[in-house]
Amino acid sequence: MVEVPSRGATIAAWREQGGGIAAVFPIHHPRALWRAYGLLPVEVWGPPVTDTSRGDARLQAYTCSVVRCGLAFLESGGLEDVDLVVVPHACDSLQGLGSLLLDFAPPRQPVITPYIPRTRDAAAAEFLAHELRSVGLRLAEITGHQPDAAAVMACNQAEAQADRQRLALFEARRHLPLTNLEFYRLVRAREYLPAQDFAALAQAALAERIDEALPGPGVMLSGLLPEPMALLGVLDRAGAVVVADDYACSGRRHYRAGSSDEPWLNMAQSLLAGPPDPTLGHPIAQRVDHLVQACQSAGVDAVIFHGVKFCEPERFDLPMVQAGLQARLGLPCVDLEVDLASPLGHQAVTRIEALVEGLS
Amino acid sequence: MSLLASARYHLNVDLIGNGFLRYERRKLERKLANPRPHPHLGPPLVTAAELKELISRHYLKGRYASGHKPVAWVTSGAPVEFLQALGFFLLYPENHGAVCGIRRKAEEYCSAAEDLGYSRDICSYARTDIGSVMTGKTPVGTLPRPDLLVCCTNICQTVLYWYRVLAEHFGCPLVIIDTPFVYDSASDHSVAYVLRQIEQAVEVAERVAGRSLEPDKLRQVTQLSRDAVDLWMQVLERCRHRPAPMTAFDAFIQLAPIVEMRGEDFAVGYYQRLLAALDQRIADGVWALKDERLRLVWDNLPIWHRMRWLGERFAERGVALVASTYTNAWGELAPLIDPAHPLESGARTYLHAILNRSTGHKLNVIKGLVSDYQADGVVLHSDRSCKPYSVGQIDQRGRLVGAEGVPALLLEADHNDPRSFSEEQVAARLDAFLEILES
Repeated sequence: MVEVPSRGATIAAWREQGGGIAAVFPIHHPRALWRAYGLLPVEVWGPPVTDTSRGDARLQAYTCSVVRCGLAFLESGGLEDVDLVVVPHACDSLQGLGSLLLDFAPPRQPVITPYIPRTRDAAAAEFLAHELRSVGLRLAEITGHQPDAAAVMACNQAEAQADRQRLALFEARRHLPLTNLEFYRLVRAREYLPAQDFAALAQAALAERIDEALPGPGVMLSGLLPEPMALLGVLDRAGAVVVADDYACSGRRHYRAGSSDEPWLNMAQSLLAGPPDPTLGHPIAQRVDHLVQACQSAGVDAVIFHGVKFCEPERFDLPMVQAGLQARLGLPCVDLEVDLASPLGHQAVTRIEALVEGLS
Repeated sequence: MSLLASARYHLNVDLIGNGFLRYERRKLERKLANPRPHPHLGPPLVTAAELKELISRHYLKGRYASGHKPVAWVTSGAPVEFLQALGFFLLYPENHGAVCGIRRKAEEYCSAAEDLGYSRDICSYARTDIGSVMTGKTPVGTLPRPDLLVCCTNICQTVLYWYRVLAEHFGCPLVIIDTPFVYDSASDHSVAYVLRQIEQAVEVAERVAGRSLEPDKLRQVTQLSRDAVDLWMQVLERCRHRPAPMTAFDAFIQLAPIVEMRGEDFAVGYYQRLLAALDQRIADGVWALKDERLRLVWDNLPIWHRMRWLGERFAERGVALVASTYTNAWGELAPLIDPAHPLESGARTYLHAILNRSTGHKLNVIKGLVSDYQADGVVLHSDRSCKPYSVGQIDQRGRLVGAEGVPALLLEADHNDPRSFSEEQVAARLDAFLEILES
């Protein structure tokens, strides 16, 4: 089994090479951009089960726990060693977080808040290319790096390769001798490993592919992120295999490579070419089509909607997505809602166990 | 468009409806001429009957619009001038949501949406609207089915998720006008992006309406929009007078034409008469409160389902809400509107809506209102249903109380869902705050 380097070890190794670290909040962001300026993007999804009191001092209780945990982590010194804080515009709560950090609670590091468009036509790509260029100018001031077009394009290609490898891992999931927990530790390493390292790691994991398919009912997970990760342990114990993924942190970030020869436009095109995502304004019907296709090709037997409380983009889509999957595939669906600041509740465990038992 | 639908529209709106509404207006005007004295509140505004007629006529037109005019459902902060110029009937689901809130129907519609799987944690305007759409219930008769949905994200991202649900339900085109959030100042590429989207929206709207946009008509509508917004700002500024001739509670209601009828000549006419009425009140010494002792600024949306209760509670303590960031938002952008360049100036104007700007900018707006309206304090409505307005309020309050020395209260509620409102808790917090101010 491949060994997944830890976040801490990765950061230390990167630092040793003289690189900087960018702490990046969810969801979509141009990994190639930070890399072009010598920064390693390390994503901050929560982190879960954090004491949120520092975040609660600035955010109302009805703000989602991804943001409350993230702010609490930052305010309690968890991001002290990074060189840059990035809060991409993803939703109203993350918008508020970015604004708070700029206006009222500035960390010691610079804060950058790139805007990711909600449309996907040529005008959106052009806007995003401009936006990325202007962030690049800011990064040049911060880091002193001045990458040329070829260097930016090389970063785009490296990230595209890593994205392809992550997608390959999901496609081969039934044949990878890994538990759900091990599999997600592997794919989530994309959140902090340099693209080249992740691609190599994924390649090594794919080399261990076995001929026979892993037994057990196939499950699709949908939501923001697989936290608390105890959920995956519950699925392992119940004998289910996560064969398809619609998490914002993973399955909704299988970006296709850009087509332009101009590196900034290429980067923008890629960022706009991910699977349907409610935060990016894709029509719900398009999302349902995508999920139906994913369920069919992966052999999904049930879907677990695993949302974070107060996350509007997930909650708005849920009734129509659930109805669409049930109408077209007759799949049983379970809706779990969690708060990242709390461990996985017994009720959730029981519901997952009952779901999988019903499939066996 | 069908001849039959047009005939039905003219019969029900122009002949029967208008006559009935005029009769109702006269009846209300007679009643308002001799109002029942209130122990704490001044007499109602003399334009109240006309406003009621305007709003009723708007929904009456909507009831018979299908087939007679193209119908667009739009977000409240969307650029609507091109739609007006193309002859669309415009329906604002948020305004309809507020009407449902005031008429105590929101809880029923929210519950209906929740029964369909929509979480109680999503915006109560959206739940009210989705519940109303799915059940067909509304306190305004009938809502016309949209031919087009226009969603501008300058007020929140929630509308993006909400309008996608509507698009799915109605199966009509959805135009998204995506306005990059202005953390500091709007970049040129953001303005260009919004302009391009408005131009694309015009193309879609032209196809739906089956006619081309006439530049002169657009300029004329934009001029009317600008005039109404200018007048609205003047209306609000009359509350700088001490004592104030009306309060923010009045302004929340008077807001309807600037939101729903922006670009219409009768909105301009109405605000001219409202302004004259306020000037008359100032000249006659007629005030919103019989004994104004304290002046406050309100931040965030109103609590629609408790307007009367809150209004009377403040009034009995001699507290006038003299300004609000919410009503101010509809007037502050007037200087950006340029009728000579309607689309270009529209891109810049609609990008700078208060909810598309930073938490620091909002604090500056509050500070400006406190100073301009000589307010003694601020009430920040922490609105469970409006995250873009509410996130940042804890720090804003901290800055007001600390660096500015302005007393400020954070009040937890929800603009449309009465189940997220505790009358006892709000009363206790308000009383404690007012005691501090009075001491």
